[in-house]
Amino acid sequence: METGSAQPAAGGYPERRDGYVPLREYAAIGDGRTVALVARDGAVDWLPVPDLDSATVFAAVLDSRHGGSCTLQPTVPCAVDRRYLPGTNVLETTFTTARGTVRITDAMTVPDTRLTPMRELQRRVEGLSGSVPMRWSVTPRFGYGSRPPRIRTRRGVPVVSCGADAVAVCTWQAGRPQCTESAISGRFGTRPGSRALIALSFAHEEPLVLPARAECEARLDHTCAAWRRWLGERACGGPWQQAVQRSALALKLLVFAPSGAIAAAATSSLPEQVGGIRNWDYRFSWIRDSAFTLDAFLRLGCPHEAHAYFWWLMHATQLTHPRLRVLYRLDGGARAPERTLPLQGYRGSAPARVGNAAADQLQLDTYGELLQTAWQYAQHGGPLDADIARRIAETADLVCRLWREPDAGLWEVRSRPLHFTQSKMMCWVALDRASRLAEQRLVPARHADRWRQERQAVRDFIETRCFSARKHSYIRAADSEEVDASLLLGLLHGYAPPDQPRMRGTVEAIRRELGDGPFVHRYTGDDGLPGSEGAFLACSFWLTEALARCGRHAEAADLMDQLITLANDVGLYSEEIDPAGGAFLGNLPQALSHLALISAACALTEGGRP
Amino acid sequence: MSVTAALAGGFVGTLVLTTMLRAAGELRLTRIDLPFLLGSAFTANRTRAKALGYLLHFTIGQLFALGYYTLFLALGHSSWWLGMLFGLAHGMFAGTILVNILLPLVHPRMGTPLTSAPAVALLEPPGFLMLNYGLATPIVSLAAHLAYGALIGASISLAP
Repeated sequence: METGSAQPAAGGYPERRDGYVPLREYAAIGDGRTVALVARDGAVDWLPVPDLDSATVFAAVLDSRHGGSCTLQPTVPCAVDRRYLPGTNVLETTFTTARGTVRITDAMTVPDTRLTPMRELQRRVEGLSGSVPMRWSVTPRFGYGSRPPRIRTRRGVPVVSCGADAVAVCTWQAGRPQCTESAISGRFGTRPGSRALIALSFAHEEPLVLPARAECEARLDHTCAAWRRWLGERACGGPWQQAVQRSALALKLLVFAPSGAIAAAATSSLPEQVGGIRNWDYRFSWIRDSAFTLDAFLRLGCPHEAHAYFWWLMHATQLTHPRLRVLYRLDGGARAPERTLPLQGYRGSAPARVGNAAADQLQLDTYGELLQTAWQYAQHGGPLDADIARRIAETADLVCRLWREPDAGLWEVRSRPLHFTQSKMMCWVALDRASRLAEQRLVPARHADRWRQERQAVRDFIETRCFSARKHSYIRAADSEEVDASLLLGLLHGYAPPDQPRMRGTVEAIRRELGDGPFVHRYTGDDGLPGSEGAFLACSFWLTEALARCGRHAEAADLMDQLITLANDVGLYSEEIDPAGGAFLGNLPQALSHLALISAACALTEGGRP
Repeated sequence: MSVTAALAGGFVGTLVLTTMLRAAGELRLTRIDLPFLLGSAFTANRTRAKALGYLLHFTIGQLFALGYYTLFLALGHSSWWLGMLFGLAHGMFAGTILVNILLPLVHPRMGTPLTSAPAVALLEPPGFLMLNYGLATPIVSLAAHLAYGALIGASISLAP
């Protein structure tokens, strides 16, 4: 596991080790279709094009030599400070050198009324003081670094093409572009008030758009205004307002605008253990996250996103109905075959994968998540039409047949299936929500009696087989003696109220056995994979929310304060964190971490939901 | 050739086309739902969208039937197989241009590959040949349009 100091001193310039910066050095920029990762040293090391789940053109974060990147930095030693422009997903990085100061503004622009490139990455360079020598380079590697690019100049603009993909490197006051067989680069100097611009215009299965400078400048301003307008319409109050706002913006980056789906993270194969094999593709939408996602959208005042997500969820699950896949592609497809990429992996963390074999697993908790999501949607006035109501009823019927089976659980273990307690709790939630929807006449009530009988049978199973009197806690799986942080979801999704002694004992046991300061590990038992992992950030936020709901507000607020400090310098969270050194582990930015933050902050602000 | 027969054939053809697509949905072959796609252009209420969509779909079915009738008149010949040929062209047009390009242009709730933040689409874009709605969608759609064309052709050619 990565150890040592992971948090650079304020203003520090990140050291690259074997070409890699620590994962917490990355900020994310996006346009609702794709997301780029920008390192603190000014390198864009990750960018799939045209969509978030497409093949990459820059993937240096997974292979510093062959992945491809777009660098932009001073050629002299410098200190770095950066932030998001307030209320936006536009990144501002300031390099301070002995010779002067320069500011870079990075954005994936959103279309305006002009002819817009299919995707556009803009990098504006402003001289603030003195004279700073700068260098930049663009080394596109299409298809996850597997397809050799072809570099030519068209009407004075360097163009890199490869099959149906192409990128034009448009520059203004950024020095004369030098083209080699594999890269385009340039050098220039800044002076006070100078303004250079590098715009990468991407095309996929269509001709390139070569924008004029004025159009680019206007589009960057339009992008900032669009983000600010969006955030201005959201409801993000409370003592952790800044963190909630940043989380809302991070989530919005992960919403795939063409379909309304939300990706679990923007990246693939960032390791849960540096040097290990726990490297997964998270550029899919997990049913597991659906209830938290809808809840967050509704709490933040995002009705459009909430409706779009629910509609997408219902469309995506239609082909596999009544069975659910663990995850679906952002376009609603169900297939996600896993394969290994010809990339080294972040700091040698091989294999680098795309696709996700977990899609084929049986995870019973997904049914509870789906019905909880439908319940929330309906309770907020979302209409359930006859087709959806029928499907919800059929899903509940399926849960009646399936709940006795062992499964892979929320954590998608690759060991043998077990009777995971959290899965059973979510089956109870599924049948409970279906019964309540039937009582409200929102779904057909023909089988409601059976749902209620099976709901009681699930509860009997959990209370007799999934509780340890010795630990005074629910346990990871039937007849085991381990605890599991996912049990907190039993409380958060309403399997048991917070004043139930068994649930209070479970919260205490998780804190005692899986907690490590503000960190919480997922579990301690076998998961069928070698190696270890960091602490799971969402679990820490779930614990915070559980404490708040149990009425332990002071403890919860204290934990929340500690967790807020674990974000990186721009307020983003990855999936996991190394308790020893604070290094980010796993894919980023991670939707579940930010969703759990929003949920915990709301619970605390509201004084703990009943 | 009788325009009444063309309209009758168009009505039955649309009924069969819609039923085939619906059956394919029930068989988990595709997520395409043409009446819903059409109706949701006018309302976000799913129930109303489907009702309105069926009305629109049958109206459009009649308009296409008149188009087929005009082509038959121009060629001076009508038959089920010629109707099927028109259905093939019609199905290809629907899968590539009509639903994939024209509909997203006028549909306020449908995404396109260019839909970006801060907007968010309520309906996912169909994609090339409507493949986003399931891998079997082009085949199902084409088969349904072949049946539609054949029925119109047969109706006109068999009418006295």
